[in-house]
Amino acid sequence: MDPPEQTEHLPGGVADEETPRGSHSDTVFAHASEAEFARILDFYQVAWEYEPQVFPILWDLEGNLLESFAPDFYLPDLELFVELTTLQQRLVRKKNRKVRRLRELYPGLRIKLFYARDFRALMLKYGRAALVSGLSGTLGQVTPHQDENGSTEPEDRLDALDRAGADAGDADRSEPDSNAEPHPPSERRSRGARRRAVRRAAAAAQTPAT
Amino acid sequence: MRVSQDLVSDVAEVLLTEEQIEAKVAELGRQISADYDGRELTLVSVLKGSLPFMADLMRRISLPLRIDLMEVSSYGGTSTESSGLVRILKDLSAPIDGRDVLIVEDIIDTGLTLNYLIRYLKGKNPHSIKVCSLLNKPARRLVEIPLDYVGFEIPDAFVVGYGLDFGEVYRNLRFVGVLRPEAYES
Repeated sequence: MDPPEQTEHLPGGVADEETPRGSHSDTVFAHASEAEFARILDFYQVAWEYEPQVFPILWDLEGNLLESFAPDFYLPDLELFVELTTLQQRLVRKKNRKVRRLRELYPGLRIKLFYARDFRALMLKYGRAALVSGLSGTLGQVTPHQDENGSTEPEDRLDALDRAGADAGDADRSEPDSNAEPHPPSERRSRGARRRAVRRAAAAAQTPAT
Repeated sequence: MRVSQDLVSDVAEVLLTEEQIEAKVAELGRQISADYDGRELTLVSVLKGSLPFMADLMRRISLPLRIDLMEVSSYGGTSTESSGLVRILKDLSAPIDGRDVLIVEDIIDTGLTLNYLIRYLKGKNPHSIKVCSLLNKPARRLVEIPLDYVGFEIPDAFVVGYGLDFGEVYRNLRFVGVLRPEAYES
């Protein structure tokens, strides 16, 4: 080993003191495990953003968006997206596909998929193993928000479909047509814009791909 | 939590024997001695898990050195952590400005604690900061931090022994082993 030089430990993971951090108190999480993960990040003073960006990942031959993917967390200081999947293993396949597709379309993007076993190990490490069952799987689901008419947000419906593994055609949908022109990477957008994008994706997803 | 009187019986598999650990620590000591020759080295051990590793490693380094100990609070959730932020439970006992600091860790898992520590220690103006960890478990790494000296890369399993605990138990095992799920699921 060479003699040590003055070390520059700047892995992109050292947060600046002034870095604004997310706050789990004013964020509505879709799942209890996400809230717990945010608390862990808060504890270790790692800046995070919750679902800040939607990535289009599937289009039909006409270029209409069929599917989008919004990773759960973005850790700006680490330039890392994190997707938690504490669902039953049989439902993880879809998340794996989405992440694989995301990596294909956006090769410069770093994303870490946290499986149920990873989350469980994290809770075990922090002495919170007893909470795992309540934070994982269906027990950890947060009731989707409803508007005053009682209808569920399309985003939540889409998520619910994801969770139930009942997204029409998903089981049969293989990799997209390679001739379909991918849209450029999305810009960061507001939550409202993101919801609109997801609504469009949800509406488009109702039409089977041709 | 159920702990057997015979701690070894709670271990499903011995991952690293006492002999393997001893040989690796000696190897790390030789490397560190060569790399830091002529420099002012301070070993900073992160309590409590790295205590056995620190005790063995420092005796395998053939240089004049200082040692210091730090302890930081670990995440325990909102119910037990009033501030919700990591805290320094025990700070360094001597300044490290201008010195070469080697953080001695038992295991690097997510990297969250180490990330915090490096940031904290940088604020004390050392000449350099490097990291020596006996174990590296990269499966769940969130913060990619260069590890300058690593003893063993281990698989994704809950390990105890040689300083590593579950519920403050098993630290005194002389080897590193995988804990039986029954031990933490009960």
